[in-house]
Amino acid sequence: MSKGDRKLIPLGKRRICIYPGCSLTASSRDFADSLFQMARMAGMWVEELKDWNCCGASPAHSVNPEYATLLSGRNLILAQKQGIEDLYVVCPSCYIRLKESMHKLDKDAGLRDKLFEAYGTEYTGEVNVRFFLESLEPGDEEIFKGKMNQSLAGLNAVIYYGCLMSRPERVTGFELKVYESSIIKFVENTGAKVIDWGASSRCCGAHLAVSRPDLSDRLVDRILDYAKRAKANCIITFCPLCQVNLEMRGKAKDRLPVFFIPELAGFATGEVKALKWARRHLVNPLPLLRNHRIL
Amino acid sequence: MQTKSTEPIRMDAGFMKDVAERSGQMFNSCFHCRSCSGGCPMGEEMDYLPNDIIRMVQLGLKQEVLESASIWLCVGCLACVSECPNGIHIPDMMDTLRQIALEEKATIKEPEVVAFHQAFLDQVKRYGRLYELGFMTRYRMKSLPVLRDLPNYMKFFFSGRLNFLPEKIHKRVDMKRLNEVCNVER
Repeated sequence: MSKGDRKLIPLGKRRICIYPGCSLTASSRDFADSLFQMARMAGMWVEELKDWNCCGASPAHSVNPEYATLLSGRNLILAQKQGIEDLYVVCPSCYIRLKESMHKLDKDAGLRDKLFEAYGTEYTGEVNVRFFLESLEPGDEEIFKGKMNQSLAGLNAVIYYGCLMSRPERVTGFELKVYESSIIKFVENTGAKVIDWGASSRCCGAHLAVSRPDLSDRLVDRILDYAKRAKANCIITFCPLCQVNLEMRGKAKDRLPVFFIPELAGFATGEVKALKWARRHLVNPLPLLRNHRIL
Repeated sequence: MQTKSTEPIRMDAGFMKDVAERSGQMFNSCFHCRSCSGGCPMGEEMDYLPNDIIRMVQLGLKQEVLESASIWLCVGCLACVSECPNGIHIPDMMDTLRQIALEEKATIKEPEVVAFHQAFLDQVKRYGRLYELGFMTRYRMKSLPVLRDLPNYMKFFFSGRLNFLPEKIHKRVDMKRLNEVCNVER
């Protein structure tokens, strides 16, 4: 498909092409749901990259880096064919994988040849991989403020960025510091209280939560302990894997519900599907939400 | 560093060069400030800390490195990369070491992690995307602690957070060609 014959979208909307990643189609589909809801609120027209494939996550580059690069590279080729300039990636891990693939393909002609051999399209490097937060500018949190009609007062939240998202720009290509105050303001606008804490970028154990749950337990328990000592009653996260790990792993008895950040916008705007999202959590957030008359 | 007192230590002189070339890292520049080890979330669980591994690579202790648990426990959280004053990308080094360990069929200390990686990639090779339900059942059948997570998986499944059928990409022939290009089985 060339850039000319793309279908028309409603006037005044911005076209955003998203690479959702595997977990957003299954275990974290509420994240996708609530995020796209938010994007519509901000006047975006969200489209999925057509026929995208898995980025390979940790297993691919752990076992065979070349395979990992070419696997993620297929998405870049697809975006290029579909005439997409900025590909917005939701999951922090997918983002790192695609970005790294982009860097490696830009640097290494041998890899570009192999990519051509596999998919039959020349890689031109026109596609820019970006993190989904970059579709908004810092300060854009004001867009959502006017639409919130339900205060989330009573939620004492700690924001958990997780490891990959909070790394410096020279490593990941995304600078959290630019957006940090904006994110905090966004959460405060909903009426929830944001608490400072020390574990916002500690690792949750990532894929070891599946293969070595005992190791992940210790890491998650430490994060939950930090959160409880900060007197938080919920955690806010940006990563699908962090959300599952923080709710599922750890041996602590009293659990904290872990929300995806766009879910808060759903709660605050009185979104009908919000109750469904809340029901799907492993740690039931309904007692907390009902206590504070949110849902 | 633990060594068995009865056996002589074997050193592989070309090991550092080999790893450096494949991973694109300069191990000579490491002066062992231990910033990487201090920030590593898995440090407590590793048998050798990240900078120990670099030292061992520098010394050419190939067998010890390839048979360590550390190379499999690194989750690639990039904490060390953001701390390292010399800009050494330790996760890239770990990737290379894992690859060498698999290629040379070294004794693997964390077989469960390897099984996880392989089960994950099997799904990707077949469908182009991760089929979480199939992956979990297949992987969990191979490793033992199933019972602990069963209630959670059930809840996932019944609340509709797991797809019953796999999501597939349309052009699955791409996956086949990719395997051929990379010489990967299946």
